[in-house]
Amino acid sequence: MIDAPRATVARLVGGRRGTIAGATVAVLVALGALGLLFPASPAGILARAVFAAGTVASALRLSVPIALAALGGIFAEKSGVINIGLEGLLIVAAFAAVYAMDVTDSLVVAFLAGVLASTLLAGLFAVVCIEFRADQIIAGLAVWLIALGLAPFASQVIYEAPNTDSVRTVPTVPELVGSLPSAGDLPVRTDPPTLGVGVLDAVLAVVVGLLGRVVLFVAEVLLASSLSVYLMVLAVVLSWYVLYRTRFGRWVHASGENPKALDTAGVRVDRVRYAAVLLSGVLSGLGGAALSLGLGQFTGNGATMVNGKGFIAIVAYLFGNYNPVGAFLSTLLFAGLQAVQNPLQLADIGVPDPLIRITPFVMVVVVLALVGRTRLPDAAGEHYESGEE
Amino acid sequence: MTTPAVEFRDVTKRFSGVVANDGVSMSVEAGSVHALLGENGAGKTTLMNVLYGLYEPDEGTIHVRGDPRSFDAPRDAIDAGVGMIHQHFMLVDDMTVVENVTLGNEPGRWPLLDGIADHAGALATRAGIHVGAGPLGRRVAAVAERAAPAVDGDSARESVVELGERYGFDVDPDAVVEDVSVGVRQRVEILKALYRGADILVLDEPTAVLTPQEVEDLFSVLEELTARGKTVIFITHKLGEAMTAADAITVLRGGRNVGTVPAEATTREELAELMVGREVLLDVDRRPATPGEVVLEVADLAVTDDRGVRAVDGVSFDARGGEIFGIAGVDGNGQAELVEAITGLRTPESGRIRVDGREVTDESRRDRIDAGMAYVPADRQERGLVMAFDLVGNGVLGGQHGAPFARGGRMDWERAGDHARAVLAAYDVRPPDPTATAASLSGGNQQKFVVGRELERDPSLLVAAHPTRGVDVGSIEFIHDRLLSLRDEQVCTLLVSSKLEEVRTLSDRLAVINEGEFVDTVDPDAVTEEQLGLLLAGERPDNVSSTAAVTATRTGGDGNR
Repeated sequence: MIDAPRATVARLVGGRRGTIAGATVAVLVALGALGLLFPASPAGILARAVFAAGTVASALRLSVPIALAALGGIFAEKSGVINIGLEGLLIVAAFAAVYAMDVTDSLVVAFLAGVLASTLLAGLFAVVCIEFRADQIIAGLAVWLIALGLAPFASQVIYEAPNTDSVRTVPTVPELVGSLPSAGDLPVRTDPPTLGVGVLDAVLAVVVGLLGRVVLFVAEVLLASSLSVYLMVLAVVLSWYVLYRTRFGRWVHASGENPKALDTAGVRVDRVRYAAVLLSGVLSGLGGAALSLGLGQFTGNGATMVNGKGFIAIVAYLFGNYNPVGAFLSTLLFAGLQAVQNPLQLADIGVPDPLIRITPFVMVVVVLALVGRTRLPDAAGEHYESGEE
Repeated sequence: MTTPAVEFRDVTKRFSGVVANDGVSMSVEAGSVHALLGENGAGKTTLMNVLYGLYEPDEGTIHVRGDPRSFDAPRDAIDAGVGMIHQHFMLVDDMTVVENVTLGNEPGRWPLLDGIADHAGALATRAGIHVGAGPLGRRVAAVAERAAPAVDGDSARESVVELGERYGFDVDPDAVVEDVSVGVRQRVEILKALYRGADILVLDEPTAVLTPQEVEDLFSVLEELTARGKTVIFITHKLGEAMTAADAITVLRGGRNVGTVPAEATTREELAELMVGREVLLDVDRRPATPGEVVLEVADLAVTDDRGVRAVDGVSFDARGGEIFGIAGVDGNGQAELVEAITGLRTPESGRIRVDGREVTDESRRDRIDAGMAYVPADRQERGLVMAFDLVGNGVLGGQHGAPFARGGRMDWERAGDHARAVLAAYDVRPPDPTATAASLSGGNQQKFVVGRELERDPSLLVAAHPTRGVDVGSIEFIHDRLLSLRDEQVCTLLVSSKLEEVRTLSDRLAVINEGEFVDTVDPDAVTEEQLGLLLAGERPDNVSSTAAVTATRTGGDGNR
């Protein structure tokens, strides 16, 4: 009985996931130490780039669409419907949100429009997969291809170009309130009072200095973040709660592992799966809306502005082992690698730009190769019909 | 006369033209154990699925406690107090026992709100007001509970623990289901039904997957249940179990009820005849063996299992052509690993295996098949068949490399089809349709097909693990007969079975395995039940004489004959 939580911890920390998480933390710590000791070395430059509040803030910003889509993917796949159409859901939501913003200039309406568009498309996907027993992978690809054609086409019709006009962006907290002080004005001290005792003073200086700096750093990041980032954090926490603490979460789990068990327990499997897939539409809709509204424009050239984020989301939740918190952390890893690119390119550390630019994708491949053995829900991808043997 | 717990009246169920149940009427007395006995495909499970709301009957009605009921879905049956324990457990493997038991009926809780409500309630009670004690209050509380989104984990655990204690179940509520034994899983299934308020429990072939010890435990659980007023219906094709555990026995044959008899007033022979429709020879007529040359030689074999634990520890024996060498033991004592090592599915740690004097220890499955080894695996679905293949494809498995089914890399499907048809006909596999997938057959018919394919391989060595698992009496008789005639054709058979009766009656020599070691090798005709029980437990009774040496001398004599 006492072993149960311990086993869970072991499952979370153990294995290759734990190795990668540990390695990431170790690299960050080593980088921090090197940066402090040798500020002029390449490690120092890298450390300054990684530990800048701007980098962390932009990592969070880049995480938003990926993390939200990943949360959606978790719900769908845990219930037994593999939704590889997340990319498509992000695309339609991104366009719909910008268009709604352009028409109504209301942030709430814009987000709702994104959610509505994405949920409708997810609903179509759900009907095709659950009602008409289509192959989930092919239907998911169709969702992506539909969105890839539809969004730029709609943009062409309305704006006469694949890219939309610019609209208002999602504000940060200071922008919203209008009069918050910047982080520098916060009453946080980094210089301790002197007590007159040499050793104590030195210790106090280090402790207060470090704590103050951390508080300031966090405040700076939070103040620089848009509301979308807060929305994402809220969604991560709520998703975790729903999946692990509610009846619906149990049913989603059972529906993906052993739908027959759920059916014989008197819960309609198809309803649970519909709900889960629609939920993936809602979450991806939030993500897509946050993505385009963060930039104030939908760009529909080539792979559109979504550009593979939906697929990275799939990797993120697999790496996160279907746990919302895990998915968020792995998203942050990918987004973090992307976020350090700009300062690195500017800093010119002697590595060619194209090499720096591919690091997130190299990481995706490395993660996929290393994790490899994610335990998929037993019935994922399989159609379930009540009453069949 | 009391109202029967369940009564079927002229229930008929057809599947696309095939009649699975043909006007079945039967009544089950409340508080009793009622066995539903029949061969594979007699319509037992269909009848129970009709009761459980998984199928709708085409004709007839079902009465539960005197009221006519029709269930559209399992939920309706559950609400009416009917619980079903399926043959393949309906459990979510990576959930805990508590989570599985409460699935679909989790006690609800309102996060935050419940805490506030509790405090408010406590304050009100202290002030002398009893909120929620009146009928309206209770209703509101009940509705609020049912609509609550969060799971009340503590209360779920409490009620499961309480249930387990009431019925004397030994189940750890926090264990993850995939970590517990089959017997425990079954108890979890029973708990699940009880948790939902079932007072009529239907068990579909509950003993098929259990060890003899677990079967005993199950029967005492059933006794406990009926002692507390529950009604139990269990489906089985095993005569002995029906007679031991049931109060009344209804026999189905070809979808019809061919008779209900009280368990005390019947005999095995009568039941068998009802089931099969003809007289069945329950006792195997084993002619004396004429052992020939040594075919299988195992020397100092040590095998480790998946967890790295030594499962077989220094086993040595010789088995001869023309004899059945039986291995008896409680499941999980290394039989599975021993068989896997001999058949080439697991690499032994050390030791040697020879077939017909040829060393095969390091040879592949394919080489061993070519050397004349046939293998009836314990798990037909995992190892014996490709469930998605049709029977033609399944029939050539193992022989796909060469003649007669393949030549120059091309399959001869015509010949393969003939072969499948021959096996289907000879082993009475139903339906006899070679284009049907393995998955579409019932468990017993799958087993007959696997046995048929392996026995028709014309082997010199047959390794058979639980060859009659899940097969009905009529077919058991046939398979036993085939095993004996193969023996008479000088085939060497290694027989592993968890059915003591089976290894005892068929084997010419019987080795008893315990914790990976042979306790002794005995003459199955001379050993008594008590002695065998001691041997199975790993103890050596004083007065049992090992037959290993005896047989060797007897073989010498036979050789001269």
